[in-house]
Amino acid sequence: MYRYIINRLIMLIPVLLGVVFIVFFIMDLAPGDPVYQVAGEQATPAELQELRVKLGLDGNIFTRYARYIKNMLRGDLGVSYISKRNVMKTYLERLPNTLMLASVTMVVAILVSIPLGIIAAVHQNSIKDTVSMILALLGLSIPNFWLGLLLIILFSLKLKWLPSGGINGIKSIILPALTVGLGLAALMTRTTRSSMLDVVRQDYLRTARSKGVTEKKVIYRHALKNALIPIITIFGIQFSNVLGGSVLAETVFSWPGVGRLVVDAINQRDIPMVTGALVMTTMLVSIVNLLVDIIYAYVDPRIKAQYTK
Amino acid sequence: MPDANLILEIKNLDVCYKTEDGDVHAVNGIDLQLGYHKTLGLVGETGAGKTTTALSLLRLIPDPPGIIECDTMIVAGNDMLKMPVSELEGIRGKDISMIFQDPMTALNPVFTVGEQIAESLEIHEHLSKSDAYERAIQMLETVGIPRSRGNEFPHQFSGGMKQRVVIAIALACNPKLLIADEPTTALDVTIQAQVLELMKTLKDKNDTSMILITHDLGIVAEVCDEVAVMYAGRIVEKGSLREIFDETLHPYTEGLFNSLPNINDRSAKLKPIQGLMPDPTDLPPGCTFAPRCGYAKDECLRRQPRLACMAGTHYVSCLAYERSDFHIGRGKH
Amino acid sequence: MRRKHLASEKYAKRSAFKSIWKQLKKNKGAMMGLAILSVIVLIAILSQFAFNYKEDIIAQNIGNRLQHPSREHLFGTDALGRDVLGRVAYGARYSLAIGVVSVLIAMVAGVALGAAAGYIGGFFENIVMRITDIFSAIPSVLLAIAIVASLGKSTFNLMVAVGVASIPAFVRVARASVLTVRGEEYIEAARAIGMRDWKIILVHILPNCLSQIIVQTTLRVASAIIAAASLSFLGLGVPAPAPEWGSMLSEGRAYIRDYSYLMVFPGLAIMLTVLSLNLIGDGLRDALDPKLKR
Repeated sequence: MYRYIINRLIMLIPVLLGVVFIVFFIMDLAPGDPVYQVAGEQATPAELQELRVKLGLDGNIFTRYARYIKNMLRGDLGVSYISKRNVMKTYLERLPNTLMLASVTMVVAILVSIPLGIIAAVHQNSIKDTVSMILALLGLSIPNFWLGLLLIILFSLKLKWLPSGGINGIKSIILPALTVGLGLAALMTRTTRSSMLDVVRQDYLRTARSKGVTEKKVIYRHALKNALIPIITIFGIQFSNVLGGSVLAETVFSWPGVGRLVVDAINQRDIPMVTGALVMTTMLVSIVNLLVDIIYAYVDPRIKAQYTK
Repeated sequence: MPDANLILEIKNLDVCYKTEDGDVHAVNGIDLQLGYHKTLGLVGETGAGKTTTALSLLRLIPDPPGIIECDTMIVAGNDMLKMPVSELEGIRGKDISMIFQDPMTALNPVFTVGEQIAESLEIHEHLSKSDAYERAIQMLETVGIPRSRGNEFPHQFSGGMKQRVVIAIALACNPKLLIADEPTTALDVTIQAQVLELMKTLKDKNDTSMILITHDLGIVAEVCDEVAVMYAGRIVEKGSLREIFDETLHPYTEGLFNSLPNINDRSAKLKPIQGLMPDPTDLPPGCTFAPRCGYAKDECLRRQPRLACMAGTHYVSCLAYERSDFHIGRGKH
Repeated sequence: MRRKHLASEKYAKRSAFKSIWKQLKKNKGAMMGLAILSVIVLIAILSQFAFNYKEDIIAQNIGNRLQHPSREHLFGTDALGRDVLGRVAYGARYSLAIGVVSVLIAMVAGVALGAAAGYIGGFFENIVMRITDIFSAIPSVLLAIAIVASLGKSTFNLMVAVGVASIPAFVRVARASVLTVRGEEYIEAARAIGMRDWKIILVHILPNCLSQIIVQTTLRVASAIIAAASLSFLGLGVPAPAPEWGSMLSEGRAYIRDYSYLMVFPGLAIMLTVLSLNLIGDGLRDALDPKLKR
């Protein structure tokens, strides 16, 4: 099992190197020379060149890329053009806020989607099923930022129950989490239902019933444990979208997380910050994906066997 | 009044699946009895309604779309028709157990085999987890699997061993009636013999009554005391083993025997029964076998025969036997 | 010989379409989706004639600003006095165009890469899939944002950004389909009579992957429209004063307290468009899948 984990970690490295290159390449496509942002209009060519070296902007894309990687391995992602603060430090300051939001989001999604999906599958083609699926489809079709705005209108402005922004105790995380969480819940409800439907027609459930296992246990123990396997996988893949969605939620609710950090940095053309934030966020997603793969291998005995032999 | 000598008494069992493509009449008016400690062989081709009959005994027919209608269904002293689901769950696995046809899909892939056997014991004998597990691995040894494999998962076993596990699960709580639905059909021929031998031994040791569903007459001859032959959801002939094999009456049963290849005469032609079993959504009005029957007369296509007693325990459902001089070719003296 | 072959293929395709259409008709949701989408497309086309772009859509009329919905302005007016109904109707053109073009870009690029990867296999396939994985590792919203940030704000750049973010999905679907079909015997037969590889891909393999690709395309247009609106909302999409639905929501946000009607209509428009596409996509998926989970 450990060999499998080590293997996957090693395979992560080229992916991360590739990501950094792609981010680099994209940011490099920008017209204009970023040195002017820091130097100002008045600088002489000599001063510009000196500044370029200082900022690591000299050389072609490959030398700059190599330099960036070297620095990255030391934990140095550069300094923001705008705030002059250390990029890594700023990112890590804001990361917990986003992680908190992402966690609550996923919890909300699980709490809604799994029970709903099971009910829809067990009562297939009934009213409960149809209603659940319609709600799920609506949830998939709503842009999350619009949902956030509607939630603000209802719960902050009209009912005055919840704050419309900022990070101020438990109440302030509810609306942002719902904004992204409901969309995710819509997708996961459909996934749960689909997975349960596949499992519900399996013979081993009939064996369980013939043993005298109660129907409830047949569904929630025998069936669900099997259905969870693909559900966990898809859930893990969705973490990337949760982070993407939190960019919008953080904007709508003025949540001080890394999503907003990226958007602000982009609007200010703060290239080191944008690059650093994108690289760090992608690394986070890759690590989470790896964790999900490991959990998946652990939960499904057939896969586990493949990697422990 | 339930007969105390009978472990199984079914009168007029009807099972119909209501589907979008029509009503599937899987089982049509079956009567069956079985005495304690006896083994009944339920014989017929695929689609004859044997599995449906077995499932309805445990009320495992999914509803919708299946509808069970029956006058009497008494198994091991329990009135199966009137029973609420909670009581039913108490009987399944304890008084009546079932072994299914395909061992590859019968076991839950995410639980160990030991756990799956132990579950039966936990439910019915209220044992603690550890006690149940201990008994479970003992059962494993009884079916010929080493105890140490109790914490392995189903995918780590071969087909024959999986079926042994299924047998272990079924017999764990020492049921009075075991229903085995083609337990060896999906296995290699050599493994078939082993598993059959195992079943026989366990059955004799525990005095379990058994219903063995099969299309293989050879197995029936090995294991069964009584035989019932099914065709298109009806019983066409039933009786003791000797009566069915040596004093065959129904043309369909004769056809089954004739279609067996003769190992001693390799050059002889195979004699299959002409035609196909009728579509269960569109059964013919008269005798369901008449279109394929070599002895059929016009009347057979119009009037349905009833199961009638010919001698002792031997019953047959055929209009031709209303004439006392009729007999089929096989076993004619 | 060749003519006969083509003719029988045409017949097969036509009857395949007919049967798929028949299956689709049974799906009430899909039909409703088709109806809604048709209405939206119609609005997009006709708005060019119903409204004058310079006068109705972008001309500012401060005296008329922030009027709640009335008979004269059914959806009200925005902060610059512009009629919201006209802007929402016109916005359909942007959303549909961006959605369709970006996904077309992604489909052509993605299917070409994926099909080639699946067919050629070996090192090429490996490289393509590794690169796809790398692109997939970046959250798609962030990838699109980065591209727009770099290239600059314009409608075309938005199409490119959203398109690039959709390419990995097509690569995967195309490759998977090709892998399924590749082993079939009629491919071997085609090779045996000397058919060129690219021709085999075009004539034999792609038509069979078509169903998966069509479903994927429909669903991706839906997510592309949401992505475009999201980027516009963040200020990184279609530049003002263009009436894009996401931008309208962003502009109206400052007035959410007293003029919350500004939030309703553009968002509703996005949702209905996406909903109709999802309904159609779902319906297509069910109609094209032989093992229906009814």
